[in-house]
Amino acid sequence: VSDCDSVRRLVAPYLDGELVDDERRLVEAHLASCEACRALVARESSLVSAVQGALPRHEASAELRERVGSFADRRQPGLGWTAAVAALVLGVVAGAVVWRFWGQRATAPGSDLVAVAVDSHLRFARGQLPLEVRSEEPEEVSRWFAGRVPFHVTLPDYPVAPGEMKFYRLEGGRLVALEGDYAAYVAYRMDGRPISLLVASATTVEPSGRDTVKWGGLTFHLESRAGLNVITWSDKGLTYALAAELGFGGERSCLVCHGSPKERGKIEGFSPRPPDDLIAR
Amino acid sequence: LIDAKRGEDFRRRAVACLDGLYSFAVSLSRDSARAEDLVQETYLRAFQARRKPEPLEGVRPWLFTILHNLWRNQRRRAAMASLDDDTAGALPSGEPDPAEDLARAEDAARLRAAIEALPHAFREVVVLRFGEGFSYREIAEVLACPAGTVMSRLARARCLLRASLAAGPEPKP
Repeated sequence: VSDCDSVRRLVAPYLDGELVDDERRLVEAHLASCEACRALVARESSLVSAVQGALPRHEASAELRERVGSFADRRQPGLGWTAAVAALVLGVVAGAVVWRFWGQRATAPGSDLVAVAVDSHLRFARGQLPLEVRSEEPEEVSRWFAGRVPFHVTLPDYPVAPGEMKFYRLEGGRLVALEGDYAAYVAYRMDGRPISLLVASATTVEPSGRDTVKWGGLTFHLESRAGLNVITWSDKGLTYALAAELGFGGERSCLVCHGSPKERGKIEGFSPRPPDDLIAR
Repeated sequence: LIDAKRGEDFRRRAVACLDGLYSFAVSLSRDSARAEDLVQETYLRAFQARRKPEPLEGVRPWLFTILHNLWRNQRRRAAMASLDDDTAGALPSGEPDPAEDLARAEDAARLRAAIEALPHAFREVVVLRFGEGFSYREIAEVLACPAGTVMSRLARARCLLRASLAAGPEPKP
């Protein structure tokens, strides 16, 4: 094997700065006396520069940057005793203040829950939010969420009577980020239009909306944004957000969980429609 | 105080990787929405992780490793065909000389198309090496493969890209 053969094998790692000192000195000593190998290094170097210039650089959107920033700004786990003690002291001092303003914060418009529900619904409708589990079987989708979200998801099902058509279809689900944790996103379709259900732990996020309706012992929060109606509420340790197009009829979207004849009776008379002036905003 | 300073250092280093991670995610998924999901999930996991890289200089390859693992798991779930080194087929022999053509803009476009057309396993090492400047060892860490595999994939990717430049423009009909 000639010196040239040995050196040519090292040209790429040489240009990539991957050679140890001895190898690098060997290559450089050879290049000083070999014009052919110098030409090869020049060609390879040109190729590397061209590849570097041709590689597309993509800039993260402002929205993504903001989301990532919001994760970063949250308290990180595992910071150790010093930070834990400091957090405890601060927590006690700040506790009363937080308690005082908690109600206002939780119901402020534009909170993460509604924003994430709207964003997820719109992206899913545009085909930009791929489902991680695709199934029409509520049991299968519920099973997929087990262990992936820090709460139990049980999607309801009801038997269809012979000859009866199911008027909505479960499409599947996926995880979405919400308040530094995961929420369960479940996609349904009714009359060809998507309906999105977001489920999160009530300790992670609280329902919010511009208007509230009390029904069946629960408080439903209503918000119209980006052409969607979003209904949010908490029940038995979970917080839900249901998003559907404006004009679809918020109560109709409730049928994805209350579709059986018995369940339908529970939502009769429920009108989660915000006042007209809210829709016009 | 030390923990707080370290936490802030970690945060600063992690957020500085955003564009690089997003570019890598686009090159893997070829879809901006999926790339955003990958990046978002990467950061979510990174900030929630109890064990951070030590020393913090390792944050960048660690984040790329998380993103690559997420992507690989998605591919597995979607039962997408995995690519290995053999997918490149027969490689061209000889040593074409692309240097004299490099100044021409059409070469850059052709090279870009050639990078896009690279088999997945080659494209990711090209992006990590030439786009992100990772060392062979760091790429091996990100991709969970031996450094020798990184070197061989890079060598074959270079052959393919060199050949794309040497081939010249497609004949016009």
